[in-house]
Amino acid sequence: MSTVPETYTIPVGPLHVALEEPMYFRIDVHGETVTHVDINAGHVHRGIEYLTTKRTMLQNVVLTERICSLCSNSHPETFAMAAEQIAGIAIPERAAMLRVVAAEVKRIASNLFNVALLAHLVGYETLFMHVMQVREIAQDIKETVFGNRMDLGAICIGGVRYDLDEETTGFLVAALDRLVPEIEAIVATYRTNGSILGRTRDVGVLTREQGLACGVVGPVARASGIAYDVRAVAPYAAYDRLPLEVHVLTDGDVWSRAMIRLAEALTAIDLIRACLRDLPDGPTRLAETPDIPPGRAIAKSEAPRGELIYYLKTNDNPQPERVKWRVPTFMNWDALRFMLADAKIADIAIIVNSIDPCVSCTER
Amino acid sequence: MSRIPDDIETRLREAAPRGVDYASSTDPHGVTVAWAGLADREELLSVAQLLHGLGARLSMISASQPPAPEDEEEDDDGEAEEGAEAAAEEAPAPVSFGGTPLDGTSYELAYHFDLGGDTLTVVAYLPAGGSVASLTPLFRTADWNERELMECYAVTVRNHPDPRRLFLDASIDPAVLERLIPFSTLVNAASTKGLWEKIMTGHAGAA
Repeated sequence: MSTVPETYTIPVGPLHVALEEPMYFRIDVHGETVTHVDINAGHVHRGIEYLTTKRTMLQNVVLTERICSLCSNSHPETFAMAAEQIAGIAIPERAAMLRVVAAEVKRIASNLFNVALLAHLVGYETLFMHVMQVREIAQDIKETVFGNRMDLGAICIGGVRYDLDEETTGFLVAALDRLVPEIEAIVATYRTNGSILGRTRDVGVLTREQGLACGVVGPVARASGIAYDVRAVAPYAAYDRLPLEVHVLTDGDVWSRAMIRLAEALTAIDLIRACLRDLPDGPTRLAETPDIPPGRAIAKSEAPRGELIYYLKTNDNPQPERVKWRVPTFMNWDALRFMLADAKIADIAIIVNSIDPCVSCTER
Repeated sequence: MSRIPDDIETRLREAAPRGVDYASSTDPHGVTVAWAGLADREELLSVAQLLHGLGARLSMISASQPPAPEDEEEDDDGEAEEGAEAAAEEAPAPVSFGGTPLDGTSYELAYHFDLGGDTLTVVAYLPAGGSVASLTPLFRTADWNERELMECYAVTVRNHPDPRRLFLDASIDPAVLERLIPFSTLVNAASTKGLWEKIMTGHAGAA
């Protein structure tokens, strides 16, 4: 006769081998099955919202890029969009195209990173290293075109801070040509490999109704049949003039989310190629750094993980009165309660990774 | 997920009979951003119900403490100048839409609703010590937003099902965004002049 109870509470995190960033899950399990999840956040809360009100609008373009590394370009881009909305600025067409190029290069690298980690968590280390190697092509693009591997420094209020010349365009085109067959091969592997399918199909399911209730965004939403992509429903930059395909799957499992990310990496390449083909001559930014008058604005963009929204309120001071933003992961955490319900302990890390969590972004 | 309906202003006024300060603009891409200030914060719930019925998604809640207009006297100490006192008697005290005093102690809660890509922001004004009804029973997505604003400001959200701290530890003093926190305190005095000394030494060596 045993005195061991059937129900346990186990901690996952805040520092855990399977988590890249600190987050603490208190998980009640019955046997091997999850019965309840409590999420405790705040381990990388840095008070950046407070800091933004102590810095000028221009300094905040630099600061917001440093909120998070994986979607670093989306933050200054959306912040700049809000400022431009208040000032009534239309950015030059070449700048709009170049913003798309920067955003989509980041999307390729970010999505491949997450899909690579999935292979790692499944225990398929060769595939993990292979996908990371393919991602390295995207990293080379960033390093060569923008000069940095993570923070591109591409955005300024009124346009972009970089330009493409013949040499960088040539490098970019060649790198994209190398990426396409590689990503297509990765798609084929994830579609057929037994190790991947066995650990990801019907695991961590989020139904469409649950997804709508949680307000999930990005690939997590689109893998659950919610066809919401900011680039399509609320176009910005040059997205309304580009061949954007919105990918939607309906099974809502870990596998579907990975497949959406891979498909979006390929679409990102199509978008960059279209930009390079249609890229007009002309200025890349306004001739003068604009003053931002008092006002308020809402700006939204589709970061690699989904909708990023910025609220900006300015007054007569050079510093904004209030800057508030909400990142995709802030919405998607909640969905973990549904995805982890009745999951096996061994699948917890795979399911958590499937929302592509970005803790630094979420906690600011 | 439909967009903002054309008759939204009428519907908002029906849901909030005490008054709505409505403004909207549509950008060249056809994306509408609308703002609806509420004269009475107690009508927030009925407005939220209206938007819930329209299939809106509560995208974000932004709390802030707008500063008093600059020409008015400072209200945080007894050193007010004589001239300022006289001016205060002449001009009526500044207020937000609906009459909430705008003296640097009141709050502005902006609820950003997404309607198929359009954004409708409903603004509730709260005086110091004010409270507002929780939207979490209606919108799951309000949960973390409301917990976060409660730890940043001295605002009470009534009927929140789980009003624990979100990011900040329970041991940290409340209303962090209402206080001036010196940078050295913020970074736990971990910022030293060591880096500069290193740079200056290197510079002297080079010269």
